[in-house]
Amino acid sequence: MIKFSKTLKAVAAIAALSAGLGQFSAAQAASQTTITIWSFGNVIRPELVTEYEAAHPDINIVVKKSELDPHHNSLITAMLAKNTPDIAAVEVSYSGYFRSYPKYFTDLRTLGASDMQKDYLDWRWEQGVADNGSVIGIPTDVGGAAIAYRTDLFKAAGLPTDPAKVSALWPTWDAYTKVGQQYKAKTKKAFIDNSGTIFAAILNQGTQKYYDRSGGLIYSTNPQVKSAFNGASNALAAGIGSNISQFTSDWNVGMNKGTFATVIAPAWMLDYIKQQAPGTKGKWNIASLPGGGGNIGGSQLTIPVSAKHPQEAMDFIKWYLSPQMQLRVFKAYGLFPSTKSIYNDPAVANYTDPFFSNAPLGAIYTKGALALKPIFEGRQQRQIDNIFGQALSRIALKKQSAAAAWQQALSEIKKTVG
Amino acid sequence: MSNATLRSPNPWRSPSTNAPRKLGRLKRHESKWAYLFISPFFLMFLVFGLAPVAFSTYIAFFSWDPLGDTRFIGFDNFTNLFSDDRFWQATGNTFSIWALSTFPQMLLALLIASILRNPKLKAPIFWRTLLLIPNITSVLAVAIVFGQLFGRDFGMINVIIGAMGFPHIDFISNTLAGHIAIATMITWRWVGYNALIFLASMLAIPNELYESAELDGASRWQQFRYVTIPGLRNTITFVIIVGTIGGLQVFAEPLTLSGNFNGGDSRQFSTLTLFLFEQMFVEHKYGYAAAIGIAITIIVLIISLINFFLTRRIASEGNK
Repeated sequence: MIKFSKTLKAVAAIAALSAGLGQFSAAQAASQTTITIWSFGNVIRPELVTEYEAAHPDINIVVKKSELDPHHNSLITAMLAKNTPDIAAVEVSYSGYFRSYPKYFTDLRTLGASDMQKDYLDWRWEQGVADNGSVIGIPTDVGGAAIAYRTDLFKAAGLPTDPAKVSALWPTWDAYTKVGQQYKAKTKKAFIDNSGTIFAAILNQGTQKYYDRSGGLIYSTNPQVKSAFNGASNALAAGIGSNISQFTSDWNVGMNKGTFATVIAPAWMLDYIKQQAPGTKGKWNIASLPGGGGNIGGSQLTIPVSAKHPQEAMDFIKWYLSPQMQLRVFKAYGLFPSTKSIYNDPAVANYTDPFFSNAPLGAIYTKGALALKPIFEGRQQRQIDNIFGQALSRIALKKQSAAAAWQQALSEIKKTVG
Repeated sequence: MSNATLRSPNPWRSPSTNAPRKLGRLKRHESKWAYLFISPFFLMFLVFGLAPVAFSTYIAFFSWDPLGDTRFIGFDNFTNLFSDDRFWQATGNTFSIWALSTFPQMLLALLIASILRNPKLKAPIFWRTLLLIPNITSVLAVAIVFGQLFGRDFGMINVIIGAMGFPHIDFISNTLAGHIAIATMITWRWVGYNALIFLASMLAIPNELYESAELDGASRWQQFRYVTIPGLRNTITFVIIVGTIGGLQVFAEPLTLSGNFNGGDSRQFSTLTLFLFEQMFVEHKYGYAAAIGIAITIIVLIISLINFFLTRRIASEGNK
């Protein structure tokens, strides 16, 4: 602890010093305003930032990209130190936490957010509204989920390849697991990249997760949590997954080699597949998610209260998340818009991609996004997600039975939320 | 010859009857300047050392939510800590890794030092420099490289194990294997440093002792056992205490190997410092994290006291 606090203080001192230096050099430069953005994953597209800078010569944008968890943890520390970026991305699994602390965010209604609301999906907008009613974040994309599958591998296993017929194979998750067993028996290969991902997919098909709307804990009693856990542990027991963690180098290799035939694919996943496995072009198609639609992921862009240039930051957000821009991003990267006002636009409704065998992506994801019920995101959701994730990996490694892993997860969660 | 002749008298220990060295005393008007000159250290220590410790102790008595409320809860953090099996597991992991790294490392360092002590060794400076290279390598780089070596499917160690016809060992999910992997990283990093400390203290042992031992017909092993080891007693104490303090702070290696602050799927790599970090930056419980920090401090104190008494006993036995 002694050593640790020392380090922390030293880091704070260095940060303060460099902030001071930063101001000095900013004063030296011409009257350019620098907006800092902290984000993770693909939330902020560098080429679009460059475009905005070109259109606004007086604006300079600095983007810092981190991993998901470190990003949010350092945001908390930065808020404590009142040394925040101008714009910070907040992922939905952390939105419940930050929504409890509206005083650390600029109420975007003071910067014209109310006029924007009508363009966005209601449930998606709600995820950026704090407990006291202030708007702390504007929604980015929607992660409506589907199943991406490899037509060539399905064909080799004697399964249908047409999306409608494939969707008919798995009305439920049990049916999906059975198809997986057939596939595995025939090909000796994995059906899904990681059976653990089934947990999040099923969980997001409900309306509540670990917390009820008043913030009460229901993780041990909510049947949706239990059925998500059972769905994933059944798939693990059936051995249909390759147990490769998503977003690792092994995962990329597996995708290229056809190590697994299906991936649970929120809309934003399609771009990952295209980027990481360009050689599989035309071999993918999209079928519906077993058990109905569900949203996975998505973020809000927020302006912390200690942002130095809130007005300029809001100008950027208004541009970056406008319906027109979301349409462009959708066409370029497949991130599905959260602005319902453009769902009727033919560019969305009729959107197809040769990479995914010209599947009617626009129609599939629009239908999913409109049918979604709002799901309540609670305070320590991310930590609870991680604990269940660990429990599932203990089952995958055959360290524990499903029942024992469930019990251990419940007792760990109790300590975490307590 | 008997061992007693070798043991006493004890020429490398300065006789206690010696008068203490007289230090020049400062004149009165000089002393305030002296205080001024030494003040930078104490000011820095106050700001970066004492103040954080005091503040940590203070917040350990609170339920301290970084963005939310703080509430005084007395000793609740400590009572919760003692009934938290994650804490005891982290303590167990820490000591297991510590034991697996410290003792083999001591033996290896002694071995290397006695090889380097040989006056006939060519290019001694080169070998001594070489020993320090692991120590100045970035700990993260070490952890990443070893993480690759210990990989489950394609790691070099498992490829060798597989080639010898044994099943692959999962160094990430298997607790003992994982601890051994982490202990290997620590040993690799610190063995050279400790060997150099042993070497320096070995070189201080008068050569006459070895010569007379040789004349008395002592074998190499007997020379090592009855001349070298007693001469190194204080150094061994020092190395073990420093190693223990370092061992209780193992952080980067388990973090990199598990890739997660919670120390893997069964918390098998969760060491005390990793547990502290997890409570602070993942679960956002600053008060609880501070209580863990104090618990670590107390554990270090207890270990140091045990070390102190043990080595004092060994030292007094040696002087009989």
